[in-house]
Amino acid sequence: MPTYLLKKLVTLPLILLGVSLLVFVALRALPGDPARLMAGPEAPQEAVDAMRVRLGLDDPLPLQYLRFAGSALGGDLGTSIRSGRPVTVEIAERLPKTISLALVAYGIAISVGLSAGMAAAINRNRWPDQLTMLFAIAGASIANFWLALLAMNYFAVELGWLPLMGSGSWKHYIMPAITLAVMPTAVIARMTRASMIEVVGQDYIRTARAKGLPERVVMRKHALRNALVPIVTIIGLNFGSMLGGAVVTESVFNWPGLGRLLVDSVRFRDYPTVQGVTLVAVTAVVMMNFLAEMLIAAINPRIRFD
Amino acid sequence: MTEITAALAPTDSKARRRRRWLSRRRSIFIGGLLVGLVLLAAILAPLLSPADPYEQVLSDALLPPSWEHPFGTDDNGRDLLARVLYGARLSLLEVVVGVGLAVLVGVPLGLAAGTIGGLVDQVIMWTMDVLFAFPGVVLAILIVSILGPGLFNLLIAIAIFSVPVYARLMRNVALGLKSMDYVEAARALGASTPRIMFDHILRNALGPVIVQSTLTAGTVVLSAASLSFLGMGAQPPMPEWGAMMSDGRNYLGVNIYMSLFPGLAIMLTVLGFNILGDGLRDLLDPRS
Amino acid sequence: MKAHGLPIVRTGAFVAATLLAGLLAGLPLAAPAATLNVLQNEAPRSMDPGDQTATFTYTVLEPLYEGLVRRNKQLQLEPALATEWSSDAAGLVWTFKLRPGVGFHDGTPFNADVVVKNFQRHLDSKRGLAASGRIRQVLASVVALDEMNVQFTLKGPYPAFLSLLTTGPALMVSPKADAAGTLSRLAVGTGPYRLVEYRSGEYVLEERFPGYWGKPGGTERIKWTWTAEQSVLNMAIQAGEVDIVNPLPPVFARMVKANTALTLHESDGAVVFFVALNLKQKPLDDVRVRQALNLATDRAALVKAIMFGFGRPANSPLSPVTPGYDASLNPYPFDPVKAKELLVQAGLPDGFSLSVAVQEPEARIAEVLQGMWAKIGVKLEVRKMESGVWSNAAFANPDQKAKEGTGAILTSWSSGVNGADMQLRPLYHTASFVPTGANLGFYSSPALDGLLDKASATADEAARNALYGEAQKLINTDAPHVLLYYKKDLFAAQANIQNLWTEPGGGIAVRDAVKP
Repeated sequence: MPTYLLKKLVTLPLILLGVSLLVFVALRALPGDPARLMAGPEAPQEAVDAMRVRLGLDDPLPLQYLRFAGSALGGDLGTSIRSGRPVTVEIAERLPKTISLALVAYGIAISVGLSAGMAAAINRNRWPDQLTMLFAIAGASIANFWLALLAMNYFAVELGWLPLMGSGSWKHYIMPAITLAVMPTAVIARMTRASMIEVVGQDYIRTARAKGLPERVVMRKHALRNALVPIVTIIGLNFGSMLGGAVVTESVFNWPGLGRLLVDSVRFRDYPTVQGVTLVAVTAVVMMNFLAEMLIAAINPRIRFD
Repeated sequence: MTEITAALAPTDSKARRRRRWLSRRRSIFIGGLLVGLVLLAAILAPLLSPADPYEQVLSDALLPPSWEHPFGTDDNGRDLLARVLYGARLSLLEVVVGVGLAVLVGVPLGLAAGTIGGLVDQVIMWTMDVLFAFPGVVLAILIVSILGPGLFNLLIAIAIFSVPVYARLMRNVALGLKSMDYVEAARALGASTPRIMFDHILRNALGPVIVQSTLTAGTVVLSAASLSFLGMGAQPPMPEWGAMMSDGRNYLGVNIYMSLFPGLAIMLTVLGFNILGDGLRDLLDPRS
Repeated sequence: MKAHGLPIVRTGAFVAATLLAGLLAGLPLAAPAATLNVLQNEAPRSMDPGDQTATFTYTVLEPLYEGLVRRNKQLQLEPALATEWSSDAAGLVWTFKLRPGVGFHDGTPFNADVVVKNFQRHLDSKRGLAASGRIRQVLASVVALDEMNVQFTLKGPYPAFLSLLTTGPALMVSPKADAAGTLSRLAVGTGPYRLVEYRSGEYVLEERFPGYWGKPGGTERIKWTWTAEQSVLNMAIQAGEVDIVNPLPPVFARMVKANTALTLHESDGAVVFFVALNLKQKPLDDVRVRQALNLATDRAALVKAIMFGFGRPANSPLSPVTPGYDASLNPYPFDPVKAKELLVQAGLPDGFSLSVAVQEPEARIAEVLQGMWAKIGVKLEVRKMESGVWSNAAFANPDQKAKEGTGAILTSWSSGVNGADMQLRPLYHTASFVPTGANLGFYSSPALDGLLDKASATADEAARNALYGEAQKLINTDAPHVLLYYKKDLFAAQANIQNLWTEPGGGIAVRDAVKP
């Protein structure tokens, strides 16, 4: 592994430290009192106070953070205020759902985005290019909650082909995964096209062609390989925004993943759960970026990131 | 045929170059046209609107499009066309404030990191990495929850998660230019570091920043809609597109127009900025 | 180039075609017929009935738990875990004879000791359970007389005591499960259903309890799911994916009614919507200003716009289902001209500005009021808030409200079937100023306090209702709130589902529902 990658790996704990501090401070700055929310609006003040003690929210803030950080290091993210269960259990129950949905969506995005982008690049400035790019840009211009609701109304209610919401069978994946895939597909298609066009114009491609190599070999072995670098980068970088998209998609489709857990937990001021989910999401994003960089190093060892 | 093609090659190439020149400008033209339409709607809203965008006629709620109300009416009996037209003002405001804030914060940070280097660079880029590692929506939810819902707080949240993009962009430009001959020459001639930063680096960075701003503009409008969906958008009765669309979604099944027209308006605006951004990038990027 | 372009285009087309084929192949999963599928608009807060105060959580828990008494389909009280009961003449000491041979789902036998432990956990201030409040206000002590008899002693006379015993905190939980601290996740009651699985992001699954003491009436299993999306509630029932949707957003009521495969269930609700005015803030301290706001409110239009006709304009602080409600009152017919006159008399010919704190789902009501009140020159600033933030603003003391400039609070209140005292005392009594109670606007009237105290200690129903009649008139005249409307409780079910009923407040009882 190149040393710059090792260096990157070392900064991961630093980033997580920053993130945990930021989330902790941000959550405590939120208006709204979890004790009041748990006790309900009709509860008398003494009940709210008792609730606050029960939830351990009456301690000084630095103590609360140290307690959180200390047990987080030992793999304990605390107890959810809302459900009374360990946050790690809550996350473990939801994480596979989000990961599987994200993987299916990313699979769609990468396969469709790559093929559409290559098709566009090869047919540059002709109708396949223009059509693909129009779809790509239009796809990136629609709010996905609305697209999701329209799809639900059409495919589940009008036609009755697909289950409306929830998870359980492979059919439940279709609508949420496609909705979630629209945005990254568009991004990947555009990046693939731009990158391919740039690479095709380079000297070594001309050389390869001049050598009399078949066009297919030129495209696949030389052009695509080099064009992949920025594409893989963008795929890695977009993972975070796709997790963000999952927040919305999961809410609409009642998908029992981390995104919905996060929204519900912010609403209930369930501090430990929000902290835990954010840490997991950030770790996933950082790891994805890291993976992308390793992949790039494997594709093209000359490239380095500082 | 082969000979003819070969013979025609130079002219063909000239024609192709012209085609390319045209197609680049075509993107700019189409994108510019769409953005121009939004601008026009914003300016002419009072003239074009068939009704007061705030006037509620409860007995006329949720009407489908008609001659009197070309886009129909919303759940409070307000004219949707008027609200979409006035909403253009808010969307442009969103773009200006959202992108402006991100540029104003991100560019100096990236510039400082790239030109000063050392510890400053590391601290700034570490902070940017922390911010960037957050899924944008998550960060925005936290920020809006702290500041309270409302259009400006929403824009602050959206701007914050675009800051790292500009900081990285500027840092890369600065690093690239720092080693270039004319900057070295300027330094040799005794120019001070701030002077170099402003005169050379900032001027050279203008192109990429403009392109990035145009591309971010679309994101700002879309993010605002997503956050409205999560209940963190503009306060009523503002005719903000994202808020209108997210209010309208509750009637899907009975009335589609309430979310359709603001949705289309958002789509065309984002489309316009994206096409324009693509065109500008092609034009300003010397490599293509 | 061209020769290589096409295959790739084809690859793209192939991927798209595969996806489309996937779309076409999908068919909705048919749920097993013996499962009753219920979709609600919010997730359950806890599996412990004593640690939550939410209507739609109570609905989920109701098949799992029982109290000493319960309500039947006619909403009358009937014996449940107690077979008979009596009270002394003053209504202070109550004795209950318990049902023999009842066991919890975990095998723990039900007896007097269990009842004592169940109430003791609410009386223990260190527990901090969410629903303890009302029990602690009313109950002084509870003791076991013998194995099967318990005695309650109240702090004062409380006519609605039996009703209180049907609410969440009075449902009997297994003391063993409570001691283990697992109740919030794993419900253990004595009800006709037991909990199979609770997946917090997905569903609650219940099945018939074979050891139930009574006659089981309902379906084999009940599955609860939830969504916050209004239109999805409607889509789910239209697509036949669920058997019951509760509540049904009123905008879809007509559509459900028009669909012969579905039944719209509507009933008068106990929920009263109102705007509480901050009487410590000028000019709301002037009764003429408060009356003007009431006169400027077109309640009929509000019912039509918000409830699509499925509601009634509010004419009293009590709801129509509350005993003592006076239907003949009509204090503030819509009259903007008179409203404007009152404002002029109050020295405000140009109107004034006012802010209202409102939770997201109710923001539209505020928006409609914004339009109505603008016509008499009142500029209403709508502050739409998340529920947690709203609670902080609404339950703030006068100083904090002054600092934040909170002029009004839009909300609703329901006392279910628990009587007028639970509606009027927390909202209007001087002793209920927030944060102690829910007198959100600091309304204080010694005359009203006297009436409420006297009524709650009056055992005779007719005499009590007469006192509440006076109280309603007094509140209407003083106008500390702008009363808006009573909503109807709406839910939708597939037409073949039988034996369902609504409890005022929005809960539905599904424990005996039949699905052919």
